[in-house]
Amino acid sequence: MTATTATTATPPTLARELVTAVGSEHVEELDAGNWRVSPGSTAEVAEVIRRAGGHKAAIHPVGAGGRPQRGIGDRARVFISTRRLDQVLQLDETSLLIHAEAGLTGLELERILSPRNLSIGDYPPVVLTSSLGGLISVRTPGKSSARHGFFEDGVVGVSAVLADGRTIHTRVAPRRATGPDLARVLCGSEGTIGFITSAVLRIHVKPEVRLLAAYILPSIDAAVSAVLLSLREEAAPSGLRIYDAQEAAKHFDGLSLPPAHALLCAGTAGPTDLAACDRDLITSAVNAEGGKLGDVALAELWWRRIHAGEPSPGASPSLQVMATPSKLGPVYHAVTEHVASRGGNARAHISRFDADGAVVFFTIEGGEELITSAEVAAAGAGGWLLGKRAVKLDLYLEALRAAIDPHRIMNPGTLA
Amino acid sequence: MTACVDVDRLQRELEVIVGPRRVSVRPVDLDTYARDMWPRMLLAYREGIQPAPRPYAIVWPEHVREVISIVKLAREQRIPIVPYGGGSGVCGGAVPVRGGITIDTKRMQALRSVNSDELVCDVEAGLSGERFERELARRGYTFGHFPSSIYCSTVGGWLATRAAGQLSTKYGKVEDRVAGLSIVTGRGDLIETDGPNRALRGPNWNQLLLGSEGTLGLITSARLRVSPAPQLRVFRGFEVDDVAAGVEAIRRVMQKGLRPAVVRLYDEMDTLLNSFGHHEEEAAKEVRGPTPPISTGALPAWPDPEPPKQDGVVERLLNFARGKGSRQTAMNAALGRSSLVNKVFGTVAEKIARRGCRLIIGLEGARIRTEVEAALTFHELETLGARDKGEDPGWAWLKNRYHVSYRMSPMFRDGAFVDTMEVAASWERLMDLYHSVRSAIGRHAVVMAHFSHAYPDGCSIYFTFAGTAPDHASAERLYDAIWRDGMEATTRVGATISHHHGVGLLKAPYMAGEHREAMAIFEAAKASLDPDGIFNPGKMGLKESAR
Repeated sequence: MTATTATTATPPTLARELVTAVGSEHVEELDAGNWRVSPGSTAEVAEVIRRAGGHKAAIHPVGAGGRPQRGIGDRARVFISTRRLDQVLQLDETSLLIHAEAGLTGLELERILSPRNLSIGDYPPVVLTSSLGGLISVRTPGKSSARHGFFEDGVVGVSAVLADGRTIHTRVAPRRATGPDLARVLCGSEGTIGFITSAVLRIHVKPEVRLLAAYILPSIDAAVSAVLLSLREEAAPSGLRIYDAQEAAKHFDGLSLPPAHALLCAGTAGPTDLAACDRDLITSAVNAEGGKLGDVALAELWWRRIHAGEPSPGASPSLQVMATPSKLGPVYHAVTEHVASRGGNARAHISRFDADGAVVFFTIEGGEELITSAEVAAAGAGGWLLGKRAVKLDLYLEALRAAIDPHRIMNPGTLA
Repeated sequence: MTACVDVDRLQRELEVIVGPRRVSVRPVDLDTYARDMWPRMLLAYREGIQPAPRPYAIVWPEHVREVISIVKLAREQRIPIVPYGGGSGVCGGAVPVRGGITIDTKRMQALRSVNSDELVCDVEAGLSGERFERELARRGYTFGHFPSSIYCSTVGGWLATRAAGQLSTKYGKVEDRVAGLSIVTGRGDLIETDGPNRALRGPNWNQLLLGSEGTLGLITSARLRVSPAPQLRVFRGFEVDDVAAGVEAIRRVMQKGLRPAVVRLYDEMDTLLNSFGHHEEEAAKEVRGPTPPISTGALPAWPDPEPPKQDGVVERLLNFARGKGSRQTAMNAALGRSSLVNKVFGTVAEKIARRGCRLIIGLEGARIRTEVEAALTFHELETLGARDKGEDPGWAWLKNRYHVSYRMSPMFRDGAFVDTMEVAASWERLMDLYHSVRSAIGRHAVVMAHFSHAYPDGCSIYFTFAGTAPDHASAERLYDAIWRDGMEATTRVGATISHHHGVGLLKAPYMAGEHREAMAIFEAAKASLDPDGIFNPGKMGLKESAR
């Protein structure tokens, strides 16, 4: 189905309608036929979408840090900013649920929760700089923790506006058996099915203690095995990171591991006995794999860098590869060996463990082309690159969108 | 959807696909596949009323390619398809309300692989729950899903209904354990949803397909997460002052980050009925031991074919109701004055007996962590005022946990009916939910409840009710009134109308209240995956006319 684009005659009318919907101070004309509007409530979002839909103008969500992309073609575009959707609608401390609007960033939520001894979970602050709408509608593999799972798993309900301006509120229940999980269907759909205006998230009581430990292991494979062994013994660490020898040297000034050795930093948290139990499980797994305890100061520095804003050395990684447990080692070796064979150099750390596996973050020196060919090597070894789509399901996503959004106004061009 | 189908021709065409031995149009098969275990249909069955409509034909495919061919055939001729697993559903989900072809999945039953590195297995949809769990146990793993229907339900049925097992508090509901699904859609394609969730863009297809109860397609196989078989199992019974105190204790345990495998809190009525027999302690002696053999997984032996008398909640309810006169008259008299019985029972339970409420709690898993978690859990409960009753009540529950489903027949035989209503809410709304539904059902029937399947953010409540009426028509009216009032009370307090039994026909009228405008997304998914509306029509409150 082809969407009819708005003609040049409609924009002035649409502009007036947008002003009617949200007030002139919240409508900004970016250039001809492109507006940014900042609604202050779900009702205003619904009004904007209804009016934009009347002109078959495209709707694009813009969260914190997002910026409107210049439109292609002559279609009118309305960029809806979630900036003013910044309220906590309900904090249910009995059920440990927070209902928050989509424009609040993860960090803002943490600031609200922290004085109450609550938290949205063991996610690195760098992940939480996004607004809630972006956190749940766009997937990146880093949004996971061994203790609290993939960020999306904590979404209990959403409110969203559909293409025809209808507002939906999914029912909040811990689990249900009443058809598909409609809130979770909206997760990851990047604004193509509905515009998420608020979400109900599970939150957690801050742990009684946090314990840290560092370990030196004879190889990357031994370190991966130790982690998987401890997870199989049901340890639920709050953070895990494996560095290869080169990466460890880069991140910890003066640390010199024997060649091919690995550094494992681990954090556990919870009731004191449980946190200690998890730490001991990791220690005994490390011993079983021929490793030994390292200097705890390394783990403390690692933790401060992630959670206390201490600067981290080295450029941002050039390649991120998600891998299931048995593919972590093969992906690591495939990429480092491939890069070495082309005269380049690759180092890596592995973190963001959860039930699906973990993410290998490579820093590759040797040029863009080498990174591209390293991606091929990683995929060949069974790794998953960022931004993959289940292509065979495109037909079904298209048909679903056609049914719910016949004029294709909701973030057209995305996931297409 | 065509009403006149040339059944002979359809049979021949199906035989071309699967061969003559795996198609049936025999009346006895059509009758069998015309219903599932929905108690409302059992009411009719008891009266000798044959269910109608029946399927046109039943077919038993063995390969995905056969399923695809059947779907294509049905699509060409606009014939409905009803997926059928174990037939143990209690909501009428497998009833062929528009006739059509019933596809029984039970010949697709291979456990294809167990990947011990990834802790994922690949299993076909028709494998029975019991055989699945035994096969895994033989290899040293468990799926951790133990519904009371495990002996008569299939993996595909679990996935299609978002089922929950008795140990779901640790292992999760079935939808929490899915790594990928293979499903033949209404377009006749096989689609697969595998891949780490966080590395894929686009809507969460697993969460869209799970729980669709055969309305979007037929699940042919799945990649499911398995856990190492438990090394240690610890079960205990506790007693709390009342329901509210028990609910608070469970909430505190769950929010501390502890994950017992099972948590069951019985309300006063349920506790009282439970205490009528002292068999638990005897039963417990047979199974007690620090570590049951791992080779049997968490499955006990087959349930006794003839369960001993006074051995289940329903039986005890029955016995209570029997009184001194002829058993049927006494029971009917008691159940017929259900609000009085509820009141008297409530009074007995709360004021006279003062026994408090029974709480069963069990942990299992890796030895060291389970030991630590058990110590923390039991300590937390005692801190909150729960009284430790020792291991026996815990082991007794474990021993008897599959029996209850096999005890409904005597009630139906004696002219009454019994059913269960499983609803769930956040902790904040849970006591409201309990009181509202209990009073809504209590107007019509004898009702009791237990709280199980706990989460950090809420819990499910499992109501059991029993009623009676002088004739079939008034029994159906009473049954419908109980569900209508129970569901409305649930929706009013903002809870969900089903935690794990699903929707089917029973709860279809309440789907609009459950999802409101969000049904539009389910409808859009239906239009996408099954554009001709051939899959399980007439179910789940989906519209039929548009297609």
